[in-house]
Amino acid sequence: MEFTTADKGRYTEVAATGRLNMVAAPKLREVINGVVASGGKRIVVNLADTSFMDSSGLGALIGCLKLARQSGGDLRIAAVQPQVKMVLELTSMHRVLTPHATPEEAFRND
Amino acid sequence: MTDILARRTLEEPASDQAIENLHGLLDQLWIDAAFVPELDQMAFTTAVIEAASNVVQHGVPSEGAELLLGVELTVETGRLRAVISEIGAAAHDPAPDVQGTAASAPLDEDALLEDYDESGRGLSMIRALVTTVTVERQGDTNVWVLSRDSDPAN
Repeated sequence: MEFTTADKGRYTEVAATGRLNMVAAPKLREVINGVVASGGKRIVVNLADTSFMDSSGLGALIGCLKLARQSGGDLRIAAVQPQVKMVLELTSMHRVLTPHATPEEAFRND
Repeated sequence: MTDILARRTLEEPASDQAIENLHGLLDQLWIDAAFVPELDQMAFTTAVIEAASNVVQHGVPSEGAELLLGVELTVETGRLRAVISEIGAAAHDPAPDVQGTAASAPLDEDALLEDYDESGRGLSMIRALVTTVTVERQGDTNVWVLSRDSDPAN
């Protein structure tokens, strides 16, 4: 899985391409840690090109959400694909990681 | 006899690479069995990767043995079946709780986030995604059998 980080002004976008599984989960934590450490408060993980997520990947997202909130910010997700949506709903985690249609919309009302 | 409509197998050292290869194997299976409804493909793929990841992350090799991951995926009439073998593994202690009932999620969002338990999450996902799941000890191998009913007409 590849991660691309971009400063979008109002937020930092982390685009994740590939499969967010047990192999990729530690890399996601590393990338988000880096964003938070460099002062990023509003983070959007763009999942448009994430074809798969398992419980390890979800665990990493949850860990990153907690980290962002602990540092006074927030982490949101956007553009989820059907399998990722299924996993979020199956675990009820869509209630804390509510998918936004696009990265631009994630922090639109804040 | 049940008709086998598609079949794929893998056996290799239990490692990160084995999980990546298993994703590729599942992709090939769905090319051969494109008639399987997309929801069934997604659910079965997720359950198989969860079980195989459990082997790679938590499997303990028997003394002097190398831990291997064996996977047999079959598409049968009305059913998807995966046999996931933890070859050369010590017996599970305790055994994975494959029959447990899923705990209901807390209503409060903060509690939901705080209570999130990563370690038990994979097993409860497997239980929710397949029709039956069993884990048995056979010789030096722990064998997971996942089965999901799938009717192309649905």
